[in-house]
Amino acid sequence: MAEKFHTELKKLKADTLKMAQLGRFMLRTGVDALIRQDKELAASVDARKVEIHDMEVRIEEQCYQLVALNQPMAKDMRIIACTLKVITASLRIGRYGKSIANTVADLSTKPHIANLMSIPHMADLAIDMVDDAIAAYESDNLRLIEDLSSRDDTIDALRHSIFREGITYMMEDPKNISRCTHYIMVARYLERCADHACKIAENVQYMETGERVEIH
Amino acid sequence: MSENSIISTTNLNLWYNEKHALQSVSIRVPKNRVTALIGPSGCGKSTLLRCFNRLNDLIDNVKITGEIKLDDENIHAPATDVVTLRKKVGMVFQKPNPFPKTIYENVAYGPRVHGVRDKAELDKIVEQSLRHAAIWDEVKERIHDSALGLSGGQQQRLCIARTLAVEPEVILMDEPCSALDPIATAKIENLIERLKEDYTVIIVTHNMQQAARVSDYTGFMYLGKLIECGKTRQIFEHPKEELTENYITGRFG
Repeated sequence: MAEKFHTELKKLKADTLKMAQLGRFMLRTGVDALIRQDKELAASVDARKVEIHDMEVRIEEQCYQLVALNQPMAKDMRIIACTLKVITASLRIGRYGKSIANTVADLSTKPHIANLMSIPHMADLAIDMVDDAIAAYESDNLRLIEDLSSRDDTIDALRHSIFREGITYMMEDPKNISRCTHYIMVARYLERCADHACKIAENVQYMETGERVEIH
Repeated sequence: MSENSIISTTNLNLWYNEKHALQSVSIRVPKNRVTALIGPSGCGKSTLLRCFNRLNDLIDNVKITGEIKLDDENIHAPATDVVTLRKKVGMVFQKPNPFPKTIYENVAYGPRVHGVRDKAELDKIVEQSLRHAAIWDEVKERIHDSALGLSGGQQQRLCIARTLAVEPEVILMDEPCSALDPIATAKIENLIERLKEDYTVIIVTHNMQQAARVSDYTGFMYLGKLIECGKTRQIFEHPKEELTENYITGRFG
C-alpha cells in the first residue's frame, strides 16, 4: 500500500516537474521571441497555453485523489501541499511567457528602443531564479534557493529602472509611448515570475523542513 | 509539554523475563487532554498503557524500574492501594467485554464494589454514566436487558460507561475501536472528544488517522522506546525524528 502510494507520489513530482519546465520554457521562448521580434516563435508560445492549463488541472486532480485515498501525513502531506502551490506558480509563469509573446506583434514593426533596455538581462536573472526553484523542488537541495531573496531585490531594482527609463523615452517622443508601455508591462511580468519563483522556493522549504519562511 | 501533567513516568523500564519491553521511557501526560500512543506492533505502547494502572502486576516475571507518578504520587509506593489506583485510572479494552449481566448491573458494578448501596444513588450514577458515554438514549428503555444483546459499538460505549461510573481521573483505552465498524468508531471518537472535558484520556491505537483525529498529543514508540512525543499537529505535520517520519508515512511498520 505505502509502496504504491510512494510510487504515485514520485510520479506526481515527475509530472509537476514537466509542467514547471513547460512554464519555464514558455517564459524563455516568449522573451526570445520578443528579443528577436519573431512572430512565429511568439505564436508557438501562445499555442502551448491550453496544454499547460490541462496539465495543471490533471495534477491538481492527482493531488486530491492521493489525499482522499491515502490520508498522507508528514513529508508526504507536505509534498502534496507544495505541489499544489508549485503548479499554480508554474501556470502563472507560463502565462506571463504567453503575455510577453503576445506583445511581439506590436513590437516587431520597428527596431527595439535602446535594445530593450535591461529587459534581456532582467529576463535571464528571473529565469535563473525559476530554474533554481524548480531544481530545488526536484532535488530537495535547499542551497539552490538560499539567496533567492537578494536576487529578488535585484529584480525589483531592475523593474524600477526599466520603468524610469521607459518614462524618459516616452517624454522624449510620444510616438514611443505605446512601445515603452509594453516594455514596462514586460518588466512587470518578469518581476511577477521572479515572485512566483520565490513562492515555489518558500513551499520547497516547507516541503523539506516543515518550516514556513518568507522569501521576497 | 508545558501543560499540567496528571501522569508522568521517569526512566521507566520494564522487563518480561529477559525481554526489555520498555526502555527508559519518560513521558508527561497532560491533564484533560487526549494523548495517543502510536507505533508498530510490539513497540511497547500497550505495555506502557498497562503500567499506568499497574495491570502488569498481574503478569508473572515482570520487573519494573523507574518511576510512575499519578497526581505527584508514586503509584508503586507501598502505601498505594491498587484498587483505588484502578478506580482513578480506568481502562477500556480492545474487545468490548461487558459482564454477562444487565446493562444496569454492568454500570452499577463498580460503584457497588466501592461501597455505594443506595438504590436512588445507584440509579443516578447509572443514568449519568450512560449519558456521558453517549449511549443513554439508545438503551434507556431496556437497561434491565442483558448487555450481551447490544451491538459491538454499543457494548464498547457501555464499557466506557462502566469505567465512568467510578469517577476516574484518567481513562486508558487500548485500541478501543479496532473491533468496531466505521460508524461505531465515529461515535467512540466523538465521545473521546467530549470526555476530555472531565477526564484525561490515553489511547493506544495502530490507526494513525485515528490518533491524528482524536488526540491533542501523540507519542511515537519504537522497540520499547518513546522516540518522540509532542503536539499531534506537529507530529503529523513535521515530526522532528526521522524514525517518526518514516513510520507515519508508512515507510516501515
